Amino acid sequence: MTTDLEYLNRINAMIAQMQEINETLGAIVQDALKNKKQGLRSTAYEFSKSIQLKEDDVMEMCVGSIIRYQPFASDLRAVTVAMKLSYDLSRVCRYLYNVIETLDEFEVKSCDVKEVSALLDDAREMVRQSLKAYFERDAKKAAEIIKSDDSIDQRYRMILSMHRTKPTSKTECILFNGLTARIIERLADHACYISSEVIYLVTGRRTDYR
Amino acid sequence: MQTKLDVQDLNAWFYQKQALKNVNVKIPEKMVTAVIGPSGCGKSTFIRCINRMHELVPGAKVSGKVLLDGADIYGTMDPMDVRRKVGMVFQKPNPFPNMSVADNVVAGLKLLGTYKKQELSELSDANLKSVGLWEEVKDDLKKSGASLSGGQQQRLCIARALAMNPEVILMDEPSSALDPASTAKIEELVKKLKNETTVIIITHNVQQAARISDMTAFFYLGELIEFDQTANIFESPKNQLTERYITGRFG
Repeated sequence: MTTDLEYLNRINAMIAQMQEINETLGAIVQDALKNKKQGLRSTAYEFSKSIQLKEDDVMEMCVGSIIRYQPFASDLRAVTVAMKLSYDLSRVCRYLYNVIETLDEFEVKSCDVKEVSALLDDAREMVRQSLKAYFERDAKKAAEIIKSDDSIDQRYRMILSMHRTKPTSKTECILFNGLTARIIERLADHACYISSEVIYLVTGRRTDYR
Repeated sequence: MQTKLDVQDLNAWFYQKQALKNVNVKIPEKMVTAVIGPSGCGKSTFIRCINRMHELVPGAKVSGKVLLDGADIYGTMDPMDVRRKVGMVFQKPNPFPNMSVADNVVAGLKLLGTYKKQELSELSDANLKSVGLWEEVKDDLKKSGASLSGGQQQRLCIARALAMNPEVILMDEPSSALDPASTAKIEELVKKLKNETTVIIITHNVQQAARISDMTAFFYLGELIEFDQTANIFESPKNQLTERYITGRFG
């Protein structure tokens, strides 16, 4: 129990740094996808490694805060939510890295990647908005983000069915789009996990999203 | 959950000053209920009303009902009978210094005059064992109760309360004057006691309340603000006053 909430500010600063890493890598991944760039695996891996270190830092600080300050109620929820958020952000980074990996695995020059590229834009926006909801303690916004996941899922299924709707597409393109869409769909799920944590943080009630 | 104590519209005064205001709460049987709140909020008055100790204070007055298994302790029940059924352990250990360890345990039973010497000896040993003190004092049973350490004295007092076979035990900050190791022993004991009896414990240590209690009652300015399962109170309290108190914003 403490009135010194500086530790929560420090945890939040680290969460914000994790999101900055994801924003930077996200821009690189989006550019690579749109322009079908390859050979960025090691660059993306460095981002993934650095965010894991940040996740460790957040975990350490959260555990330290529980030991030192023994927070309760909204303070306790803030610490436990930060632990989960750091994991989710780390997963988001890992999925961005996976998109780069997938780009390296296929010959995509002749593939139409507009759908997956748009999907990535929207999934990244969901992560961005979920973090905004977190910092603004906005449960309403968080609930809207969870709702928007249905559209991502629908578009993911549409891309998966490409082998039926566009049977003339190259197998390699069908595979690339399907795999990448799957990665992005999972990335968007983590935006929803973050949002469900925001709802818990603000209201004290658990949603069953996770 | 079976209700052990049903407190209805309980009010308490010290002369003109009202210490408790319309308290209504059902204390569940064989559970630990923690009572928390800032100094002067009415915690001690509340538990003293439960075994009719409040009325012993000059200028004290009580209204409302406290039903113990459905019987109003302010009705026809003899106050001495109430205090036998509802035992109390105080903040500061208070063994009788002129009595041995063994005699301290059965001091209350001796007053009843219905037990033989051998029975008293057996009851003394049994209660020392139940509070985990036996191994520490079995060779010093004839020594003064005051010769024990603070933590041991407090467990001796709990053994003394248990010897009366109470249905409810009230504890008023029983470990506030003890070191961490002794506090841990008291906390373990409290958790064990709920298998046998109903425990109501006042504590200023909210972490302790979170550790050992099943239910928590938060009092503020003589009012019961919130009463709920301990996990709910400490994770997602419903009332902002509770939230502010347990997060250290006031009190």
